[in-house]
Amino acid sequence: MTPFELAEPRSLREAASLLVAGGEPARAIAGGTALMLMMKAGVFQPKRLVSLRGVEARYSEISATPDGSLHIGALATLTALAHAEAVKKAAPVITQTLKTLSNVRVRNVATVGGALAHGDPHMDLPPVLTALDARVNTVSPGGGRTLAVGELYTGYYETALADDELIAEVIVPPLASAAAQGGWRAVYKKITTRAADDWPTLGIAVALCREANQVKDARLVVSAATNTPVRLLAAENTLRGAVLDAATLARCGDAAMAEVELAGDAHGSSAYKRELLRVHVQRALREIMV
Amino acid sequence: MSTNRTITFTLNDAPVATTVGTHQTLLEALQAQGLTGARESCAQGLCGCCTVLVNGTAVSGCLYLAVFADKADIKTIEYSPEGQLDAVQQAFIECGAFQCGYCTPGFVLMTRQLLDGNAHPSDDEIKHYLSGNLCRCAAYPEIIKAVKLAAARRESSRQSMDKG
Amino acid sequence: MATSTAAVGRSIPRLEAHAKVTGRAEYVHNLRVPGMLIAKVFRATVAHGRIRTLDVSAARALPGVFAVYTGEDIRKLIAEPYYGPAFHDQPILAIGKVRYAGEPVAVVLAADAHVAENAAALITAEYDALPPVYDEVGAMTSRAVVHDTLKPAGTFADLKYLKDKRDTNIALDFHLRRGDVTKAFAAADHVFEHTFRTQQVLHLPLEPFACVAEPAGDKTSGSLTLHSSTQSPSFVRAEIARLLGWPDNKVRVKVPYLGGGFGAKVYVKAEALAAACAMLARRPVKYALTMEEQFYMITKHATTLRIKSGVTKDGKITARECEVWWNGGAYADIGPRVTQKSGFTAAGPYDIDNVHIDSYALYTNLPPAGALRGSGIPRLVWAYESHTDMIARELKIDPLAIRRKNLLREGRPQATGTPMRDAALDLVLERLAARMAWEKGFDRGSGAIKRGRGLAIGFKASISPTTSMAIVNISADGSCALYSSTVDMGQGSDTAMAQMVSEVTGIALEKITVVHPDTDVTPYDMATLGSRSTYHMGHAVKNAAEDARDKLLALARDVGLSAETTPIPDIFRKKYGMLAGNIVGVGSFIPPYTPPDANGQTENATPFWMIGATGAEVEVDTETGEFKVTRLVNLVDVGKSINPSIVETQISGATVMQLGFTLTEQMNFDAGQVTNASLADYKIPGIRDIPLMENEAVDANQRSGPFGAKGVGESGTFGVSPAIANAIDDAVGVRLTSLPLTAEAVFRGLCKKAGKPLKDH
Repeated sequence: MTPFELAEPRSLREAASLLVAGGEPARAIAGGTALMLMMKAGVFQPKRLVSLRGVEARYSEISATPDGSLHIGALATLTALAHAEAVKKAAPVITQTLKTLSNVRVRNVATVGGALAHGDPHMDLPPVLTALDARVNTVSPGGGRTLAVGELYTGYYETALADDELIAEVIVPPLASAAAQGGWRAVYKKITTRAADDWPTLGIAVALCREANQVKDARLVVSAATNTPVRLLAAENTLRGAVLDAATLARCGDAAMAEVELAGDAHGSSAYKRELLRVHVQRALREIMV
Repeated sequence: MSTNRTITFTLNDAPVATTVGTHQTLLEALQAQGLTGARESCAQGLCGCCTVLVNGTAVSGCLYLAVFADKADIKTIEYSPEGQLDAVQQAFIECGAFQCGYCTPGFVLMTRQLLDGNAHPSDDEIKHYLSGNLCRCAAYPEIIKAVKLAAARRESSRQSMDKG
Repeated sequence: MATSTAAVGRSIPRLEAHAKVTGRAEYVHNLRVPGMLIAKVFRATVAHGRIRTLDVSAARALPGVFAVYTGEDIRKLIAEPYYGPAFHDQPILAIGKVRYAGEPVAVVLAADAHVAENAAALITAEYDALPPVYDEVGAMTSRAVVHDTLKPAGTFADLKYLKDKRDTNIALDFHLRRGDVTKAFAAADHVFEHTFRTQQVLHLPLEPFACVAEPAGDKTSGSLTLHSSTQSPSFVRAEIARLLGWPDNKVRVKVPYLGGGFGAKVYVKAEALAAACAMLARRPVKYALTMEEQFYMITKHATTLRIKSGVTKDGKITARECEVWWNGGAYADIGPRVTQKSGFTAAGPYDIDNVHIDSYALYTNLPPAGALRGSGIPRLVWAYESHTDMIARELKIDPLAIRRKNLLREGRPQATGTPMRDAALDLVLERLAARMAWEKGFDRGSGAIKRGRGLAIGFKASISPTTSMAIVNISADGSCALYSSTVDMGQGSDTAMAQMVSEVTGIALEKITVVHPDTDVTPYDMATLGSRSTYHMGHAVKNAAEDARDKLLALARDVGLSAETTPIPDIFRKKYGMLAGNIVGVGSFIPPYTPPDANGQTENATPFWMIGATGAEVEVDTETGEFKVTRLVNLVDVGKSINPSIVETQISGATVMQLGFTLTEQMNFDAGQVTNASLADYKIPGIRDIPLMENEAVDANQRSGPFGAKGVGESGTFGVSPAIANAIDDAVGVRLTSLPLTAEAVFRGLCKKAGKPLKDH
């Protein structure tokens, strides 16, 4: 690693402006676990970093609003997210996902904002939050904006965030508000094909809204074998209005398999990953139905 | 702006003031203090050999910038206020929960963290909590036994303290 | 003297347990000495090429850099800077050409590790590409030759027959001929032939290789101390002294604890570069690898194994032909010994009259391969025990029954002609069958999940003829120190050896210390490898302890005391008028060995046999091929256990390591360049990957061993891979013949069986 200048602003807005204060745009560092890996490997040699560790405490908070939506500060650690009662109650899929997301020590320092902004398609939170239709509020020197997590990713390790734009918070809309009618339920399947603790071969996030035994709406997302989390729109369409029987599940699995290109790698060939997707999408749906 | 910082922290209850480069890790700063119980192995936060407690929270010292430890309370495996082995260390010895010992400080520290938050973890909880620690000698079955023995010992010493 | 404490056979905790749980155990990777420079290496980026240009100017110019050295600089110190235990084929830094991607080409020294690393990144090299050879079978006939000439090292007695060679990639070819396989195949009811493959993997001790070299004095009258994480201090001393043209006693090698070894840290590894840098710089130099760099140091051979058997219709094996190609990478390391010793037992633990074995050590343009826990054996067992089940399935014979029918019985000659003695093959197999309840019913699963089980048994010859020496020093106060160059890398040798000393001398364990290897202090030992320490060093330690005991008894007699009843200090006090003096017992051991003849035949191939068997149960998901190993039962013959609980940890540790090589571990390459050189991308088993395991050391006795004991560190590896493959086949009828066993391979097998092979787009 090489020495770098480290700015330590007290507010998120100041941090955003400091990102472009020098010649080259600087990177923000919070938990730093992902950046450190890149720096240690020599693939990232920053001249300057902007630490987010001293910004307003409210960006580390996690709370639920009366309407049932979750507000997760971007600086909240993954451990805080894993332990938050509000999250367990409102979106248990997030709590469940964190159980196998990296390890305790990394979760203790890595932040929600970092996990989203890094743009690594192997991360677990982007597909889950996409399936939950979550959005992020950002801060930049000129103000900020809201965009869907599903719109955040533009390519492999590339995001829609501007050089001077930082994620401030994540908002997960209410899942259970329509509980009386069945409401939304979601699961995440992290498929690993080598060791139990590994980068996923496939990440499959499924959110389903049912009314009686009919599917009202569905969001299916696949990640890890794609450059960004990808919505499986054709597969979703097979579900809307359908009754979740074996035939529907099979149709959905086949549609998912047909509509997406999955990259082959050391975890499995493209052809095999498609088969895994076909089977595990159906199993995820079955798990929701239980 | 300088790329060096003078930082102060408490290391195993003793005050430390030292100058570090912004690019240096907490692990390097500790080794400069002569402590080698936290040690680098995978360099990626996966093996747990460099486990250190920062303000009571376990982190991978190899992925943690030293400058972020400014004003922090740092504890390492060398911390032993009673000057004797605790229930976890005793259990690791009794269960033979290590071979080469290189990963052992990390496992001991993580087990303490686990039991502090969950006095009676199930096998599944133990495995998930310790999944970020690797043991190439694969003393995993013995480690799981040791965690359970330590949990039982801590429980019985709590009970005897309550009675006392 | 105190009365005997019966120390042997007890599960006492390790001597160093306290140091390890408090983080105070010493490892070279943590060592700093005053004035130390850090060495960082610039590595080759092509697999085979002549070095056209090498530009180190930018690195030299970086502030804080002390020096940058290339192969030519090393040559100013050492004219022929090549080393190796079998051939002197490996340069300290590449000279003229590079033979694998990752080979050290230049080295930077700086006081600051970051500076050294950043400087190394500024070095550039250009290469004229040479055609590479990667495949071990292809290397037999390839026109690409890795080494133009080969010069045998001539160091080890068992490798004395290696010859000067040129223009070949075959470092060694071993041949064994017994009976007449051609005739037997012609007469056999059935002939089966299968080919198996194993992937390149590596040891990955959590403490990566490290050496700190400290020079003293000047260039002519100087000396050198090496603190090294080595399993073979005596060899390192001799080899570094040879390179420097010095007598052995000017090089001192000190070894604290090792953070794992597994066969990686044998012979010369980080030491040669550290020593050369320290001599050139006249400063202490530390060369400590990163986890990533371990992928370029030493690995385990990929192999291709062809096995052909003639069998009667009722399952008796009458003939076997084996051909094994070992992918040794760019430097032979100890590959020739792996090739030869494995050749002894490639036909398996079966009583076969006609055997024909060819075993080839090959050079390729991949990272070098050496010995890894079990040496070549787990790969041979993988082949012959998969093959056994494939035969059984074809002939509709139960897998246990076919093994019972063919197993080598006590006293019967094995393929080399050496009779089996104290080899509890029967007992190990029968205990395994009993623990698996093999002859009872078995739940075959339901729905998409199918269950299966498999078993496998293997054996290994020990390493011979190799020498161990030990010294036992009894102080006047009755405390005692053992001086031995056996390295405790986690296997518990300090504890086991102290138990032996205690058993012989009657001195309590708490009063015995084990002096760690220091070649100025501890006597010669061949190395800590091949599960040889308990037996070889155990004998030397026992002999030394007996010598010390006998001298103490003589001393007591001299001064007119009863040695049986007098406390040790009183004996010394009477002799010397105070607590002074000491008793030094010495011991040595070298087992008998007869080198094999041209047909691989010898009456005495090994001082003892290691036996290991594993039973596996698996659950296979027939919709995806994903499978789970749900139970592993591991049986070994270790003779009598010196320390039963450490023995059990060794069995399960070996099993889990082999489980990694079976399921998750694989070095991936792109044009000879490793593409997954990290623990994130090369998956060793974690705590969530461990199945339910049962381990048992059967009730056996190695009559020639110290206290009835023999080696234990490797036997748990033998049966793991084929047992799991056999279980998968048992569950779903898919036979895998390449390691690692992956879910995708199972799935493809299922598709093929269903007549719908998976199509790649």
